Amino acid sequence: MPNIAVFIEQRDGQVKKVAWQMISEARRLVDQAGGEVWGVCLHAAPCDAAHQAGAHGAHRLFTAEHELFKLYDSAAWATAVAAFARAKRPDLLMVGATALGKDLAPKLAQKLGAACVSDSIAVKWDGNAWEVRRPIFAGKCYVDVVPRTSPAVVGVRPNAFALSEGRGGAAAAESFDPGVASLTPLARVTEVQAAAGRKVELTEAETIVSGGRGIKGPEHYHLIEELAAVLGAAAGASRAVVDAGWVPHSHQVGQTGKTVSPNLYIACGISGAIQHLAGMSSSKCIVAINKDPNAPIFKVADYGITGDLFAILPLLQREVEKLKS
Amino acid sequence: MKIAVLVKQVPDSETRIQLSGPAQKLDDSKFTRVLNPYDAYAVEEAVRIKERAPGTEIVAITIGAADRVRETLKKDCLAVGCDRAIVVADPALADADEAGIAVVLAAALRQEACDLILAGKQAIDDDAAQVGVRVAEILGIAHVAVVTKLDLADGALTAQREIEGGVEIVQAKLPALITCQKGLNEPRLPSLPNIMKASAKPMRVVTCAELGVEPPARTYDVKRYAPPPSRAACKVIAGDDPAAAAAELARLLREEAKVI
Ligand SMILES: Cc1cc2nc3c(=O)[nH]c(=O)nc-3n(C[C@H](O)[C@H](O)[C@H](O)COP(=O)(O)OP(=O)(O)OC[C@H]3O[C@@H](n4cnc5c(N)ncnc54)[C@H](O)[C@@H]3O)c2cc1C
Ligand SMILES: Nc1ncnc2c1ncn2[C@@H]1O[C@H](COP(=O)(O)O)[C@@H](O)[C@H]1O
Repeated sequence: MPNIAVFIEQRDGQVKKVAWQMISEARRLVDQAGGEVWGVCLHAAPCDAAHQAGAHGAHRLFTAEHELFKLYDSAAWATAVAAFARAKRPDLLMVGATALGKDLAPKLAQKLGAACVSDSIAVKWDGNAWEVRRPIFAGKCYVDVVPRTSPAVVGVRPNAFALSEGRGGAAAAESFDPGVASLTPLARVTEVQAAAGRKVELTEAETIVSGGRGIKGPEHYHLIEELAAVLGAAAGASRAVVDAGWVPHSHQVGQTGKTVSPNLYIACGISGAIQHLAGMSSSKCIVAINKDPNAPIFKVADYGITGDLFAILPLLQREVEKLKS
Repeated sequence: MKIAVLVKQVPDSETRIQLSGPAQKLDDSKFTRVLNPYDAYAVEEAVRIKERAPGTEIVAITIGAADRVRETLKKDCLAVGCDRAIVVADPALADADEAGIAVVLAAALRQEACDLILAGKQAIDDDAAQVGVRVAEILGIAHVAVVTKLDLADGALTAQREIEGGVEIVQAKLPALITCQKGLNEPRLPSLPNIMKASAKPMRVVTCAELGVEPPARTYDVKRYAPPPSRAACKVIAGDDPAAAAAELARLLREEAKVI
C-alpha cells in the first residue's frame, strides 16, 4: 500500500503551513493510489496536531517527544524520522522545503539509502509509481523524476500544494520511539536570533511586495513595507538592493536569495533579471510596477503598470486599504 | 589544519535552457561553465582561514570530466589560494545523482582526513542542496548548512545559519562540514600572475577504482524534462494617471485575479 508520511514541522508549537499543504495533497494522492496519510511530529512538549492533521486529511498521527526536539538538531531529528520510516515503511516521506526541512531531507535520505527529490512542486501517482516534478536551473526548466527507492524523500516547496480543510475528525494519534536515547549530538544550536521587525516570512508568505534598485535608496524602502503591511504580505528585495546594503540579505529573492511561490508577487522597480526571476517565477500572479515598458519583468508579469513607483505605490496602498475596509 | 573544498562546475546563471526534439532533450553542449557561485564562497572562506592560520593546507575536490574542469580549478581555486586539486574523473559517474556524487566525494575525503570541509549551499544547475549534507552523514561528522558566518577556535566551530525570520547559532567540534551561503564573504578575483603560478600547483586526476569505491547506482530516474508553463501576456496599465492606474490594478487583483 502506498502510504505517504508527512513531516509536520513545528517551532514553539506553531506548525508550518507547508505541513498542512502536504497533508492536503497527500490525501488527494492516496485517495487515488489507495493508502493512508500519516503525520509525523517531533516535539519537546505535548503537541496538539491531531485535530488539524485530521482536518487536512491525515489518517494517523505519529508523535515522539524528547528534550532534543526543542531546538533543531539535524542528527537527532533525522535519526528519529528514520526510525519512524524503518518501523512503518511509508512509500513517500514528504518534508517541507523550509530552512529546517532542506537540512533534514538529505540527511534523512542518506540514513535511509533513499532518493531525495528536493523542492518539488507536483507529485503524481501513475498507477504503480510516483512521478515527482521539480524545477531545475533556477526554474528555467522542470524535470519529472521517478524514485527507485521506497521510501523516497520528497522535499516540497511551500505554497506548491493547495490546502484542503474540513476533512473530518482528529487523526488517530500514536507515539513512536525516536531512537535517540543514546545519541550524542554532533552539533548544537546554542541560540536562535529573530531578525528585527520581520512580520511575515518570505518563503511562507502568500503575498510578497519586493523593491528593486528603482526605489533609489534605503530611505524609500518604507513604501514597500507599507504596501506589504496593508496586504498582510512579506517585504522582499532584489539583489541590487541587498548588495547596496539597503536591506539585509534575508530579504533577497532570486537565485542567490530565496525561492518564493506566493499567490501574489508585486515587483516594484525591479528590472526582472534572469537571476531574480529564478526566485519568483513560480508565483501564481505577478505584478510589475516599472517605468520602463521594455523591462523584462513585464514578460513574466500578469499585470503591470508602466509608471513611476513613487507616485503609484502610495495610491495603490490607499486603494488596497479601501478594498480591505 | 587541513581544509577540503568541494567544488562543482555549473552553467553560468545567465544560461538559457533549451529543450530540443520530441524527447525534449536537454542540450548542454553550448553551456558556458563556471564555478558554482556558492562554491566560490567556500573557496574564499578556506583561503581566509589559511591567511589567519598559516600552515593550513587547502585541497579542492571535484567530480567531473578532467578536460572540462581543469580551467575552473586552476583559475577559481588554485589561483586564489587552494594548494592542490583532485579531480575524480570517471565515465561511470556521468550518470551519478546526488547520492552517488556524495558517496564518491566521501571516498576521496577519507583519503585526505580534513579538519574542515566546505561545500556550497547548492549547485545552481540541479538546485538539489543535498551533496554537502549527504557527505557529512556518510563520514559521520557534524554539518551546518546555509552558513553566513563562521568562526573557528580550539578545534571547534561556531556558525551562523540562515533560518526563516532569523538565524541559528550552531556549535560543533571538528571535523565538520559547512555549506556556504551568500553573505559569508565576498570572493576575491584571481590575479593574472597567480593564474600563471597556479599551473605549477598539483592537480591529481583519479578514477573510482583508485579511490576504492564502486560507482553507485542511481536512486531515481529522470523521466522527462519540460519547459516551465508559459505565462499569459501581461495586462499593461499606463501609469500617466497614477491614481486611475492604481485603482484599476487594485480592481483587477480583486475581481479578476482574486488575490487580494
Ligand atoms: C550569480 C548571480 C546571482 C544573482 N542572484 C540574484 C538574486 O538572487 N536576486 C536578484 O534579484 N538578482 C540576482 N542577481 C543580480 C541580477 O543579475 C540583477 O543585477 C539584479 O536582479 C538587478 O536588480 P534590480 O532589478 O533591482 O535593478 P535594475 O536591474 O537596475 O533595475 C531597476 C529597475 O527599476 C526601474 N525603475 C527605476 N526607477 C523607477 C521608478 N521611479 N519607478 C518605477 N520603476 C523604476 C528601472 O526601469 C529598472 O527596470 C544575480 C547575479 C549573478 C551574476
Ligand atoms: N560533482 C561535484 N563535485 C564536487 N562537489 C560537488 C559536486 N556536486 C555537488 N558538489 C558540492 O555539493 C554542493 C551542493 O550541490 P547539490 O547538492 O548538487 O546542490 C555544491 O555546491 C558543491 O560544493
